[in-house]
Amino acid sequence: MMRWAFAAVVAVTGLWSTGAAAEWQCRAAKDLLDLGNPLEIAKTAVAEERELRVVALGSSSTQGYGASNPQFAYPAQLKMRLEKAMPGVQIHVWNKGVGGQDAAEMVERMKTDVKPEHAHIVVWQVGTNSAIRRDPLTKFAEKLRTGIDIGHSLGANFIMMNLQYVPAVVALPDEEEYAHAMADVAKEKGVALFRRFEIMKSWYNDGMPYAQFVINDGLHLNDFGQKCIAKLLSQSILDAINPRQLTGAAKSAH
Amino acid sequence: MNAVEPVPPYLAPGRDLRLDFFRGLALWFIYLDHVPENIVSWITVRNYGFSDATEIFVFISGYTAVIAYSRMMLKDGWLRASFRIYRRVWQLYVAHILLFVAFTAQIAYVSIARDTPQLIEEMQLMGLGQNPYRAILEAALLKFRPVNLDVLPLYIVLLAAFPFALPGLLRWPWAVLLASFGLYVASNHFDWNLPGYPDDKVWFFNPMAWQVIFYCGAVLAVVAPRLEVFDRRRWSTTAVALVYLASAAFVAMSWHYNALERLIPDWLARQIYPIDKTNLDILRLLHFFALAWLTRLVVRRDARFLSWRIFLPIRRCGEQSLQIFCVGTFLAVTAQIIVAHYEESIVSQIFVSLAGLVVMSLFAFAAHRIKHSAPTKVRA
Repeated sequence: MMRWAFAAVVAVTGLWSTGAAAEWQCRAAKDLLDLGNPLEIAKTAVAEERELRVVALGSSSTQGYGASNPQFAYPAQLKMRLEKAMPGVQIHVWNKGVGGQDAAEMVERMKTDVKPEHAHIVVWQVGTNSAIRRDPLTKFAEKLRTGIDIGHSLGANFIMMNLQYVPAVVALPDEEEYAHAMADVAKEKGVALFRRFEIMKSWYNDGMPYAQFVINDGLHLNDFGQKCIAKLLSQSILDAINPRQLTGAAKSAH
Repeated sequence: MNAVEPVPPYLAPGRDLRLDFFRGLALWFIYLDHVPENIVSWITVRNYGFSDATEIFVFISGYTAVIAYSRMMLKDGWLRASFRIYRRVWQLYVAHILLFVAFTAQIAYVSIARDTPQLIEEMQLMGLGQNPYRAILEAALLKFRPVNLDVLPLYIVLLAAFPFALPGLLRWPWAVLLASFGLYVASNHFDWNLPGYPDDKVWFFNPMAWQVIFYCGAVLAVVAPRLEVFDRRRWSTTAVALVYLASAAFVAMSWHYNALERLIPDWLARQIYPIDKTNLDILRLLHFFALAWLTRLVVRRDARFLSWRIFLPIRRCGEQSLQIFCVGTFLAVTAQIIVAHYEESIVSQIFVSLAGLVVMSLFAFAAHRIKHSAPTKVRA
C-alpha cells in the first residue's frame, strides 16, 4: 500500500515537473514595445546631464511583492539594465511602490513621492487595483488625467504601465476596458504607454504557462515576470531615447 | 473527568512522533521553497494545491503550545505557565535578532569578499540603505524584516498572546475557536494588519489572520477525542476533502498547462483569485484542513513508519524546530548566492538542496545531543 502510494507520488511529481522544465524566453513583438512617445525630457537629460532619474510609482507589483528578493522587483532590474546599456550615464531609480493602492491613492502621493527626486521619467504602474475594486471607468480616467497633470507640472516624462495579465485580472469582466481607458488617456495627454497587459497576454497566447511568470496567488509577478518586464521596459525606453544616436550627436557638436 | 472518555492529546502521556515528523518535514519544505527556482522544490506541498509548509508549521506550533504549557498551568498555575511561555518568547526573539544579524552579515561578507556590489544594493533595497540605524531599531521592534525573515516574528506575536488564551482554551475551546475565526474574518474584511518598516510595508504573514490556524491546532489538542462528529461521518468528510484536494490540484496544474487553464470559467476564476497569502486566503485554509484530515486518517499516532531510522533526520529537525528554522533561513541565503553564481544550473540546485538538508540535520542531531546531556526541559 505504502509502496504504491509512493510510486504514485513520484509519477505525479515527474509529470508535473516536466511541465515546468520547458525553457521560456522573455520576449515581445517589436510593435508592443513602442511607447508612442519620444521621452524628450529624458533624452535631454541623458545627452546633456549624463544623468537619468526615474521614479517608479505604483502598487504591489512595483514594490516587488511575490519576488523572492527586492533585487528582482522591476525597478531594481530596470536600473541594472539601463546602467549596462548606457555606461557613463548616472542612473537613479526610486521604487515608490505601495501595495494595494489604486489610481486615486497614488495621485495623492504624486507630489510628495515624485517632486523631491527631480525625476526625468515617472513610470506609473496603475490600473490593476482600480480594476479589481471595480472603480467606475470615468472616475479612473479622471484620476489618471489629474495624476499626469501633476507630474507634468513637475517636469517629468510619463510612462504609464497598464495592468498585468494574470488569472486574478483576466477573470474580471471588464479588465480590457481599464486597459483601453489607459490607452485613451495616454493618447489624449500625449504620454508614453508601456503595454504590459498586451505584452503579457502575448506570452500567454504563445503558450507560456502562468506558473512561469505569476506566483501562486494568481495576481503577483514572480522573479521571472519581474525581470522580464524590466528587460522589455528598458528596451522600450532605450528605443525611445536612442543613446547611441545621442552620443553621436554629442561628438559631432564638439 | 469521566473514566471512559478518551484522553485529550494535551493530557496524553508520551511524545506524539507525528508532530516531530511533520514539523521537520515543514522545515525541510520551507528551506527548499526558499531556494529560488529550485527544481527540488517540486516535491513540496505548495505545487499541488493552495496551502504550503507555513500552514503546517503554524498549525503544529499551536498544537504543541497547548501540549507544552497546559499541563504546566494545571499543575503550577497560570502565572508560572505564562512566565515559561514568555521565556520561550524571549528565546524566539533572541533567535530572530541573531538570525537578522547573521543574515545581514552573510550578505555583507559575500558582497565584500566577492566584490559583488549588487548584493550590497540588495541590502539597501531591503530598507537598510537610507537609514541603517533606524532599520536596526525597527528590526528590534520586529517591524523591519528582510525577505524570508517573516515567520519567526509571526510565531513570536502568536506565542506572546498565548497566555491570555490558554485558560479559555482548556475550559471553553469552542468559544476560543469562534473568537479566533471572528478575528480572522474581521481582519480580512477590514484589512487590518500590523505596521511594518519602511512605512508602506505590512507584515507578510498577517498575525491577525494567521492566528486562526495556530488556534485551530491549539483547539484540536484539547478537543481531539470529541471530534466524533466528523468520525461518524468519516466517509463523507473524506470524500469532501478528496474532492477539494483534487480540485485544488487541478487549479495548480492549470498554472502549468494553458489548455487546462482555459477550462476554468471566468466566474469561477473570479471566486478563486487572488489566493492571498498575507491574509491566509480561505482557500488556503480549507486546503490545509483537507490535508490535515487525510493525514489524520492515514497516519495514526502509532504509525510504524514514524519511528523508521531513515526518517530520523526529519524528526530530529522537527524536535529542534527553532534552531533548525534559523539554520534553514540562513542557509537559504547561502543557497541563493550559490545558485545565482552558477547560472541557475540544475546540478547546483540539486546539490544546494541536498547539502542544505544535510547541514540542517547535522545541526539537529548536535542540538539533540547537547540537550539530552543536560537536564531535559519542556519545549513548545
